Amino acid sequence: MSRLSIEKTVKQYVGGKFIRSESGRVMAQKGSDGRTVFVPHGSRKDLRDAVRVARKAQGAWAARTSYNRGQILYRLAEMLDSRPLPTSEADAIAAVDRAVHHAGWSDKITALLSTVNPVSGTYVNYSRIRPLGVLVAAPAPADALLGMVEAACTSAVMGNAAILIVDASLGELAAAFAEALHTSDMPGGVINVLTGDAKELLAVASIHDDVDGLLLYGERPELPELQTEAAQVMRRIALRTSAAIPACPIELQQLAEVQTVWMSAYEPQGGAAAY
Amino acid sequence: MNKKSESKPTLDLEGALELSPSPERIPVTIKERYGHFIGGKFHDGADESLFETINPATKETLAHVAAATEAEVNQAVKSARAAHSKVWSKMGGAERGKYLYRIARRLQEKSRELAAIETRDNGKPIRETRDVDIPLACAHFFYYAGWADKLEYALPGRQAKSLGVAAQVIPWNFPLLMAAWKLAPALATGNTVVLKPAETTPLTAMALAEIMQEVDLPPGVVNIVNGAGATGAALVGHGDVDKVAFTGSTGVGRIIMRQIAGTKKRATMELGGKGAQIVFADAALDQAVEGTINGIFFNQGHVCCAGSRLLLEESIAEDFLERLQRRVRTLRIGDPLDKNTDVGAINSPEQYATIQRYIEVGRKEGANVWQGSATAVPDTGYFVPPTILMGLQQSDTCAREEIFGPVLSVLTFRTPDEAVKKANDSEYGLAAGVWSEKTSKLFEVAHRLNAGIVWANGYNLFDPASPFGGVRHSGFGREGGIAGLWPYLEVA
Repeated sequence: MSRLSIEKTVKQYVGGKFIRSESGRVMAQKGSDGRTVFVPHGSRKDLRDAVRVARKAQGAWAARTSYNRGQILYRLAEMLDSRPLPTSEADAIAAVDRAVHHAGWSDKITALLSTVNPVSGTYVNYSRIRPLGVLVAAPAPADALLGMVEAACTSAVMGNAAILIVDASLGELAAAFAEALHTSDMPGGVINVLTGDAKELLAVASIHDDVDGLLLYGERPELPELQTEAAQVMRRIALRTSAAIPACPIELQQLAEVQTVWMSAYEPQGGAAAY
Repeated sequence: MNKKSESKPTLDLEGALELSPSPERIPVTIKERYGHFIGGKFHDGADESLFETINPATKETLAHVAAATEAEVNQAVKSARAAHSKVWSKMGGAERGKYLYRIARRLQEKSRELAAIETRDNGKPIRETRDVDIPLACAHFFYYAGWADKLEYALPGRQAKSLGVAAQVIPWNFPLLMAAWKLAPALATGNTVVLKPAETTPLTAMALAEIMQEVDLPPGVVNIVNGAGATGAALVGHGDVDKVAFTGSTGVGRIIMRQIAGTKKRATMELGGKGAQIVFADAALDQAVEGTINGIFFNQGHVCCAGSRLLLEESIAEDFLERLQRRVRTLRIGDPLDKNTDVGAINSPEQYATIQRYIEVGRKEGANVWQGSATAVPDTGYFVPPTILMGLQQSDTCAREEIFGPVLSVLTFRTPDEAVKKANDSEYGLAAGVWSEKTSKLFEVAHRLNAGIVWANGYNLFDPASPFGGVRHSGFGREGGIAGLWPYLEVA
């Protein structure tokens, strides 16, 4: 007798919890095994809730040591590598390797992007990078799991919290990714995953004053509207053509702010006092 | 330290220091009329578009200036495009750098003349144009000149290339300095420029255009069009512009960002601020008084990063305010061309009215308004004496909105946490200051402040090697340092 299979409920992932959409809406999609799956159709309120928990989680995440954040991102690679993923083998391998790649930036990117600036005066002047804050990231559906990993890891490695908006067609894969996140020691709220209509959710994100940045992949016909709304709060928008190659340091820099500190000193920073 | 201010000797400096004519007082050449600088040549501009630029300290007209029409803006962008594709982007970095070095040197040679023009057109004291604006403008060109042949080191692991034509719109508070901040990194990275100076302060930009001619800068690499908002809108909205760089108010920044939405134009926005100046009880108080004054009364408070919110630890608030008021009573307000003048004129009647309106709002909202200076406020031009608003609440208008004038709002706090919370409770995030003699506290507080620049035991210090720019509604992008190259480059 054939065993009756267990059909997994596809859920969103917000604040470390697996949730349905508060709206109760779902979108019927074709699942990896050919059956129909019902993917949560994320709503305006889901996004607002996610922004709230992301904001709460971001400070503590950024305050962890770079070493610790690097280990958690590496752990994400371990968790992804050890589970069945409803995607192609090539995508799964690329995604795992990408997580390993970005994990390694954690305690190094600051060294590349920060500077000690030789100012004329008795100050030690340095520019450091600090997180943008809360990002809403929309991976391109074509990039599948690699796109989600690239968006999540580049956001998190720079100390941000992020809300991933994943197209409903990838709902099952997004849920599998969220499960890996959940078991990776990543604190709840740092990376949140919403599913549904990306255009609809981005429109909501673009009028939410507490969203510091948008990270967008692929063609976005609605970009002019997103940019128009961003003007109100000077929201940063980072554009990427695809996740095919990992974000380079200067692209990672776009997910951070340069903060310059003039720290008083007794002698000019350039060397011994001239007097 | 408990003595009340009444028992302390007051300083009456009225007439105590004779007028000391500065060398900059010697008349400088200001033409009767200015137009535009396009393709390496000066153009008169249209007669019907002429507007006046005045000396705000005397209200006398200095010159008539033409406002560029859309056709003139188009001509300027065209000449910038041609210069970019045919000359500037093809020239070796070392050669580009040599032009910038030439400009820096020529600015140094003409610094007396430039300071004299700037002070007349802007109203700021000669002490500031002579010691801050002009030397820093020279330094910016000199600094970025050296980057021009080193761009392969600007983007780690990637080859860099220029963006193309940059449209740059600058404000009236540091006219020549802002032109330098905009032009130097743009030119070093191989971009060409159309610059629009503020309509109330066009004169030093036109002097700079003469320098561009004198140093044989290839025609079209730098173009300057004069005019007000309409000219600026035509410039940033031009279809063949690749990059928009703006310094000014957050309100105008929003308009520009909406205007360029949906285009491929890159942007740098240096916008408003409401800088917090945090003074802890363990600060060197007299130095903090000096810093507070530099923070808000420097350049009549017309500074986007001005330390306009003074946050005092409660235990020293009374003592500190006494010291501050005593020091403010020694500031000399008056003729900007007098080298002893500390506080000059407000740049325009419009800004003068704005400041008066805010002071009135502060009064209505219950603030205790205190004004002081060592000399009488002149009745010849637009002058506002140093003003301190006490007894404010965090939610009051004058504690939240940018006034852009010599008006300091005072608030108090009890713990470092409260200080950080109050400082960060702003839509802006350009700059902040923190005063303490305890290093661990300085680092902790500095790194927790949501601001692009933090001065620890100092304020309003600028250097071309030091990246400047804001977070949140104060804009994005940096000017100065290696970070100042990034907004003008893309990955090749």
